[in-house]
Amino acid sequence: MTDKKNLLEMFKTVATRVDKREFNHLTRESVITDLGIDSLSMMQIVGEMETELGVMIPDEDLVELVTVGDLCGKVEARLQAEA
Amino acid sequence: MSRLEEKLFQEYNQFFEKAERERRWNVYTDIPWTQVNREASLDLALCAETFCSVEMYLPDYVAGGINVVRKYFGQAWFQANWGYEESKHSLALMQYLLKSGKRTEEQMMDLQNRLFEKKWDLPFHTARQMTFYGCVQEMATCVIYLKHRERAAAENDVCLRTIYDYVARDEMAHTRFYQGVIKVLLEEDRLGTLADMAHVFANFEMPGVGLVPDYDSRILKMRDAGIDRSVFIQKIYMPILKYLGVGRHEMLAAQRTALEARADGRAAEAAATPIVVPAS
Repeated sequence: MTDKKNLLEMFKTVATRVDKREFNHLTRESVITDLGIDSLSMMQIVGEMETELGVMIPDEDLVELVTVGDLCGKVEARLQAEA
Repeated sequence: MSRLEEKLFQEYNQFFEKAERERRWNVYTDIPWTQVNREASLDLALCAETFCSVEMYLPDYVAGGINVVRKYFGQAWFQANWGYEESKHSLALMQYLLKSGKRTEEQMMDLQNRLFEKKWDLPFHTARQMTFYGCVQEMATCVIYLKHRERAAAENDVCLRTIYDYVARDEMAHTRFYQGVIKVLLEEDRLGTLADMAHVFANFEMPGVGLVPDYDSRILKMRDAGIDRSVFIQKIYMPILKYLGVGRHEMLAAQRTALEARADGRAAEAAATPIVVPAS
């Protein structure tokens, strides 16, 4: 089971891979734009997390993402729905 | 004529026929110039001036754009027609600024002189990349004009609302042409086209960046109308992919390569920038 902490760690790992920089102080409350992650990088991060976890977040949900926690919440919901 | 050229010409022919039959409009007779709201806000005029300024680089757009597709008849002829239609956009907006009393002829002349101190250069250098750049840029411009159409309507400026109606309709028609061409290019070489799409998405900037005077402060006024980065995914990125029949996940491999190249470029740029130590 992928818990909340693991999802946050996964986000850090994938974001670091995509943007080629560290995101050490990131929390679920971090605002994505404040982290300097632009919309295209965010799409890549979402896509890579979906691939790794084998879930698919509906496109319409992706436009509502403001914080890292918003994304983690969407992923959790998909994992629970498909469990 | 090769199969590719033939398909591109068909795309152009469909575009042009529709434009001639259904979409032509006249700057002098179709705009309700008597319904300018002279009491509308200064911000409304400032945004119209920003659009007008971006459109004023038309000579550079036409020269750069037409030469990169010169050997493709359909695309080159499209560029000629595109230049005609865009020239009407800047004329209409210029007339609006004068008739609304928000700008004088002298101010407009001064602005033109300042604009022409700089030159727009091609942001990408292959026909396929420039075609996709055109697609994204026209879609973004259409979305922005539609937002500002609502703003003009809210301020009871029937004249400016009508201008934005016509201009946004033109921009959407241009988007559809570019999308038609990209569909043909995807049929010819899917992986190569996806790579170019990802490269353009990763490095896309609107054409006014770095050119139009006070662009950053102007953009803040544009954002008051609800134009921000989240709009890019919702109104531009996803609709373009959907129309082209490309899934989000199909973009991942190409997008990864493009984003890595962009990150490497930024790191190299930062490393090359000298660190200024303040004198003690």
